Amino acid sequence: MSLPLAHLVPTGLGPWGDGMARLFLEPTELLLVIGLVLLGVQARQPCRDRLPLLLPLAWSLGGLCGLTLPSELLLALPCTALVAVIGLLVVLEVRLRPAVLLPLAAALALLFALAAGSALTGHPGALAALLGETVAIAVVSTLLCQSLAPPHPRWRSIGLRVAGSWITAASLLMLGWLIRHPQ
Amino acid sequence: MKRNLLRLMTRIDRRSTVLATAAAALALMPVAAWAHADAHPDGGFVAGFLHPISGLDHVVAMVAVGLWGAVLGPPALWVLPVAFPMVMAFGGLLGLLGVPIPGVEIGIAVSGLVMGLMVLFELRPPLWLAALIVSAFAVFHGHAHGAELPAGSNALLYSLAFVIATGLLHLVGILLGETRRWPGGRRFVQAAGGCVALVGLWFLEQALP
Repeated sequence: MSLPLAHLVPTGLGPWGDGMARLFLEPTELLLVIGLVLLGVQARQPCRDRLPLLLPLAWSLGGLCGLTLPSELLLALPCTALVAVIGLLVVLEVRLRPAVLLPLAAALALLFALAAGSALTGHPGALAALLGETVAIAVVSTLLCQSLAPPHPRWRSIGLRVAGSWITAASLLMLGWLIRHPQ
Repeated sequence: MKRNLLRLMTRIDRRSTVLATAAAALALMPVAAWAHADAHPDGGFVAGFLHPISGLDHVVAMVAVGLWGAVLGPPALWVLPVAFPMVMAFGGLLGLLGVPIPGVEIGIAVSGLVMGLMVLFELRPPLWLAALIVSAFAVFHGHAHGAELPAGSNALLYSLAFVIATGLLHLVGILLGETRRWPGGRRFVQAAGGCVALVGLWFLEQALP
């Protein structure tokens, strides 16, 4: 049973489904995952192979920690700014080394999941919702990493940069909106 | 025989230019709303997607960015559509923060006029200058939209859809511009540029006090 609490839209599919839907209905996390995967694809192997495993693991760990917090972490502003930066790195096609990208991806996933977990605190199906979202992240990152695997035709490399610019643009607008309408 | 063939091709070329101009003019018929008229006050993906395509001034300028990119060729073909959304969003950020920019309506109208003329006359400035021109206009477009971003619950979905719609308008311009490879395509693109410039001129006349 899912309750109409904040940050979890009832889908009628139970907490598991609500958690999966959360990734697509409040897409800050989705943009982060897409941005990190695009960075991983640009950085080539082994980032591309490890991200589909690393992101869900870090997400579940951060989410579980967040569930233990007494109150919700209000990190929307810094999180949105970070997504904008990730999009910008994709636009600039910055090829980060695995030693930089993988810890960065893990740290960002932990941070976002911590905030997500804290938002679910007190929800009866919080754990299932968190697992649902984790599975959704695993599916999205795996599909993206596999479908965008090199060798890239030229147009696809351009497409990645265009996607990065859209992520940055949407995040910048969201950033302004958050400043204008504080939480 | 060869001369007759050439005449026939010229006639077809002219006819296609006229037809293309008429088609572009019909396609660009105003829907009686400026891009930044708040027709969808609620947030969400659909509202964000419809917002930029519901105003002719924004639509023609976005299509012109793609058209001009196609005229300039690579790398401008993709640099302009990559730069525009980000600078537009920066303008939107300024609008949301309440930072005033004078003459926004005039800037938007001039963007259509200038970029339409660039396409019409196939002007090819250096890439940095083209990017600078497009970026300067992007600030005006972004500011107008950002100032009216609704206070709905799905602001990010709205923003994302808004950016995607703008990107798709660029893509329409690029695809139209790529018809330059076909016979008569060059004239068609020039005609489309002329239509954009005319629409920009009309909006400029409306915007001027």
